[in-house]
Amino acid sequence: MEVTLNVNGSAHPLRLDARVTLLDALRDHLGLTGAKKGCDQGACGACTVLLDGRRVVACLTLAAQCEEREVTTIEALSEEGTPHPVQAAFARHDAFQCGYCTPGQIMSAVALLAEGRAGSEEEIREFMSGNLCRCGAYPNIRKAIRDVAEEG
Amino acid sequence: MTAIIGAGIDRVDAALKVTGSANYPNDVAYPGLAHAALVRATVAAGRIRAIDTSAAEAAPGVLTVITHLTAPRLDRGPMTLLGPSPPAPIQDDRILHHGQHVAIVVADSPERARHAASLVRVEYETVKALLDLDDPRAEVTANPWNLDTDRGDVAAGFAAADVVVEGTYTTPDNTNNPLGLMSTVAIWHGDSLTVHDSTQWPHNVRTSLAKIFKVPESGIRVLAPYVGGGFGAGLRMWPHVILTVLAAREVGRPVKLVLTRPEMFTSVGHRPHSVMRFKLGATRDGRLMAIDADGVSPVAMEDDDYEPVSLCAATAYGCSHVRTRDRQVRLNIPCPGSMRAPAEGQGNFGLESAVDELAHALGMDPLELRLRNFAQADPESGLPWSSNALRECYRLGAERFGWSRRTPQPGSMREGRWLIGYGMAAVSYPAYQVPCQARASLHRDGSAFVRSAATDIGTGTYTVMTQLAAESLGLDVSRVRFDLGDSDMPYSPQAGGSGLTGALGNAVHLACRRLVGDVLDLVRDDANSPLRGMKLDDVTVDQGRVHRVGIPEQGEAYSDILARHGVEELSADGRSIPPRSEDLGMAVAGAFGAKFVEVRVDPDLGLLRVARVVSAIDGGRVLNEKTATSQIVGGTVGGISQAMFEDTATDRETGRIANATFGDYLIPVNADIPDIDVIFVGEPDPATPIGTKGVGEVGLVGLAAAIANAVHHATGRRIRTLPITIDQLML
Ligand code: FES
Ligand code: FES
Repeated sequence: MEVTLNVNGSAHPLRLDARVTLLDALRDHLGLTGAKKGCDQGACGACTVLLDGRRVVACLTLAAQCEEREVTTIEALSEEGTPHPVQAAFARHDAFQCGYCTPGQIMSAVALLAEGRAGSEEEIREFMSGNLCRCGAYPNIRKAIRDVAEEG
Repeated sequence: MTAIIGAGIDRVDAALKVTGSANYPNDVAYPGLAHAALVRATVAAGRIRAIDTSAAEAAPGVLTVITHLTAPRLDRGPMTLLGPSPPAPIQDDRILHHGQHVAIVVADSPERARHAASLVRVEYETVKALLDLDDPRAEVTANPWNLDTDRGDVAAGFAAADVVVEGTYTTPDNTNNPLGLMSTVAIWHGDSLTVHDSTQWPHNVRTSLAKIFKVPESGIRVLAPYVGGGFGAGLRMWPHVILTVLAAREVGRPVKLVLTRPEMFTSVGHRPHSVMRFKLGATRDGRLMAIDADGVSPVAMEDDDYEPVSLCAATAYGCSHVRTRDRQVRLNIPCPGSMRAPAEGQGNFGLESAVDELAHALGMDPLELRLRNFAQADPESGLPWSSNALRECYRLGAERFGWSRRTPQPGSMREGRWLIGYGMAAVSYPAYQVPCQARASLHRDGSAFVRSAATDIGTGTYTVMTQLAAESLGLDVSRVRFDLGDSDMPYSPQAGGSGLTGALGNAVHLACRRLVGDVLDLVRDDANSPLRGMKLDDVTVDQGRVHRVGIPEQGEAYSDILARHGVEELSADGRSIPPRSEDLGMAVAGAFGAKFVEVRVDPDLGLLRVARVVSAIDGGRVLNEKTATSQIVGGTVGGISQAMFEDTATDRETGRIANATFGDYLIPVNADIPDIDVIFVGEPDPATPIGTKGVGEVGLVGLAAAIANAVHHATGRRIRTLPITIDQLML
């Protein structure tokens, strides 16, 4: 199957097995391993990327569904070595331990902030609850997001 | 010099982690990489009558299918620090647990491997599985670790007690479930082998594979620079690693295996369920007279695990009459293994619930009861503690929490329709340390490179070792690189047992001290050096310079010394040896902690919320406030999870795990976790030069009991079975 994926601003024509998920296409075919696989069942959020600016779990999205749509991954977030404010806040607040959930958490946080849903602690708790962190960094994840939200 | 140690500097690997560029084992790719998928048993006990691989072999892209009929005979891995290795996989037709690996399929893509694996047809001859601790057919081992305690005269102790409480406490199976799916990539080049693996102990993987595949250890390299968590799941080299290495040899290509989430429940260990009985006796004024504890846990048919759940009762309190008994029962289950705070996590729930019950029976504040029974010296050896700030944990934790606002009567604190409960628990975590090595090199420009084959499973090892080396060498942290996760580096033990920071930290410290000594050796007869003839004790290090103690002018920069002597690089090794209580005349202490929890219970709906947690921890010297706090916060989340969420449900008939997905196996999400207050108290522990006590596990322990005790305070209901669920709380 032929599909062209538009990822982080460039077009990638690919020949793929029809069963290939967006997550595996990114990781195995484009070498973009920032999005992680924690369950492959849509339950952990480690694979969160933006599809036309909205968060999706890439493990439940087939690559074939993404033709003519814009995929944004963690790799596109920092510009020329300058970290995105959310990335900087995660580092500052130690909002991770093993770091495996982190790209997914950060992509969710970026979307949340863009959607204007990070106005309060309660909103952040609620809307970040699709991203599991087995290391238990939740309190610091909230602090990091609040920090960015308050900076405006 | 501003203090490097203790400072909450950002993790040195933060930039990699927030940009998604940290390289976890399953991020690794090679040209020609083939992909593996496992076939697992669908019965818990019996034999494989027939296994038909023809459809799988004929499927597109399939390179090989290996079963017990085609696999070579493999030796069992070696005896390790942590006990025997798991038995080698697919060696015969026997099935010992549901989910046992029965075949591995390799294909040119993951999709094709998975599809082909689904085409393997297995017929079983089934026998009735042993799945119950009470099954009379099951083999029971008494005192399996030779750790049963008999101190004083327990019967006499109870006879002298005014009040006796006794309870049976049960904990369920919990599954480690690090978020990173554990993965292995294996590449053979002739007789040499490179393996990327989600391990907490690269050297163990190397040693084990060398024995199993009969190749020299020197030809094997195991890499684990980043691991997506572990919580104990990566301590042993599990059979899937062997299968991947075998498959790579078979197909002559690099092979990658990524366990699926359901496979993570049956392939890499879990915390075994337990049934524990604790009986405590005390005088009316709250002096503990006797403790009698026993516990039983299951183990796999032909494997090994360490879970002495009753043992925590031996040293937690100053009590003269103590008996502990542990038993292990062989069942048809996937092998249990260490999960963050093995045995302590379960045992402490029973013990600290029982202490709360005793306080209630005595009409005494649970904090006061614990203070009265503080162990002044190590109860087992009688030696004074190397350090023990448990009382400060009690005092400062209670103060921060506002424990004095607690009214003793259960159900006496309310806010609207919520019943409020305050609960607490204590933790005395055992000390654990094993030998470790590190190597430190000074480069000509005065920067340093330090390394050891340890792992950083999220613990902050990269960061705190960078800080330690910077301090020991008198360099800015930006001038030090610390590396790990490669078995070609000096030997390191596992990241586990809260022992790595101490073992590795002391090795790093020693290597750096030696290195400074070697620098002094260079200038021993150097007429141009202000340091000529000086010994290690005569000098101090600061800002890239070595100078005479107290006289900064009398010194020179590393870079000047190395340049003048034409030395490009200078290296030194350090090897730490665990401190021994006998040598020190002090009982080497682990971490201590006091946990305070406020819960809210909605009596109509049975809803339980943890509203606040204060953890006061004596972790000895804290190397990095930020990462150490994260360790305790993460442990606390694990403790809340154990108390209220986690429960691996095994079908009693079939032995199948019924909830082996993240959709069904509950762990807390962001909204479930309140802010967590952490206080560090205590002093550097004098048992080792760097003064740390491990904090990886003390954070988890105590939460389950503190929450159950708070639930009792809120509702009057004593929950002795984890996890605490809504149905137990509907009033
Ligand atoms: S990997 Fe996609 S949600 Fe877990
Ligand atoms: S940092 Fe390890 S899972 Fe979140």
